[in-house]
Amino acid sequence: MGTVVSFHVEPGECPVADAQAAVASACARLHELDDIFSTWKPGSPINRFRAGRLRLDEAPPEMALVLELCEQARVLSQGWFDPWAMPGGFDPTGLVKGWAVEQALAILRLAGVDAAIVNGGGDIAVLGLPKDAHAWRIGVRHPWRPEALACVLETDRAVATSGCYERGPHLIHPRDGRMLFRTASATVVGSSLPLCDAMATALVVADDDGPEIARSLEGYEAYMIGVDGKENATEGIVFATAGVT
Amino acid sequence: MRRAPAVVIAGAAGFAGIVAMHAGSAPSFLSGTGPPAPVSSSPTTTGPSTTPAVPPTGAARTALGTSEQYGYGVLAVKVTVRGSRITDVSVARLQTAEQYSQRLAQQVIPVLRNEVLSAQSTHINGISGATYTSEAYAYSVQSALDLLGVK
Repeated sequence: MGTVVSFHVEPGECPVADAQAAVASACARLHELDDIFSTWKPGSPINRFRAGRLRLDEAPPEMALVLELCEQARVLSQGWFDPWAMPGGFDPTGLVKGWAVEQALAILRLAGVDAAIVNGGGDIAVLGLPKDAHAWRIGVRHPWRPEALACVLETDRAVATSGCYERGPHLIHPRDGRMLFRTASATVVGSSLPLCDAMATALVVADDDGPEIARSLEGYEAYMIGVDGKENATEGIVFATAGVT
Repeated sequence: MRRAPAVVIAGAAGFAGIVAMHAGSAPSFLSGTGPPAPVSSSPTTTGPSTTPAVPPTGAARTALGTSEQYGYGVLAVKVTVRGSRITDVSVARLQTAEQYSQRLAQQVIPVLRNEVLSAQSTHINGISGATYTSEAYAYSVQSALDLLGVK
């Protein structure tokens, strides 16, 4: 999937060697998932599946799992996240990235690691809390100032951000196929990173319906930035107080 | 010769396993110059062995990867290593396509309520943002690693 994944681990009670082994194991798992879901690997199961050359019952079990997650996300986003509406056929990439990062974190948790943050290309899964703090401090990339942050959020849950500001048109309106939107950036915070991923994408393509969609999903918070600079945050978004800790 | 983008998440020594073990000190999380990218510091994880030409420890070395085309323009990634371990990855050069830049320049740039103008000026544990075109980013990182002699 071409994503850089970084790990920040605070082993706590867990022996450091165990924590290191868990990270290695998590990396191996990320490779496995990349082999299955990378649309850039010509013979990958996802490419064969979307081309109709691989049945679901022949595919690795992760395929069915991801399909199910995509369907759930499609329903919860009221159709604004729709991986079946992609031009090349079914493309779960937007959700798979977050799901893979979450899988990597689960391996750390199972190994007994106390606290960790796994960041895959801006999709962030967290475990526990950082030392001497009541929340993780997560910066949100500024949509039009490369060196800056739009804000810093405080959270103990997963974070994902979607936006149009950099890759050029890659988000597609599921109903009319257009590719430019009025929301520059949408950040979603919640307990499931793949769902945060899907919802962040949905909020960007939903344009003016974004805030209403954001409010509709219980337990999930959203922070949106319009291309005109207008900001919109749901009640549960916690902005860190300005300055250094 | 270019290698596949998959190497960024796969095998490059310690790359997918950049780890910061903080037994005592408070963790910090800062990117290098340029648009922020997810990084960690002081990796202690194991990885494939280094080539003889690469010093196992010692001073940090940095290389700039090739400029790669992405959706709206050109980007280049800067990679810092100590020995064969990657300690920092950041986008060093980002150029948006002419029309996009002009469009931005013509507008009054809005100020966000809680914006932090320099990501490095504040303590954060991570950065969330829409990702760069993965392929361009990966190729640039790989070329920097090649320059540094890191597999």
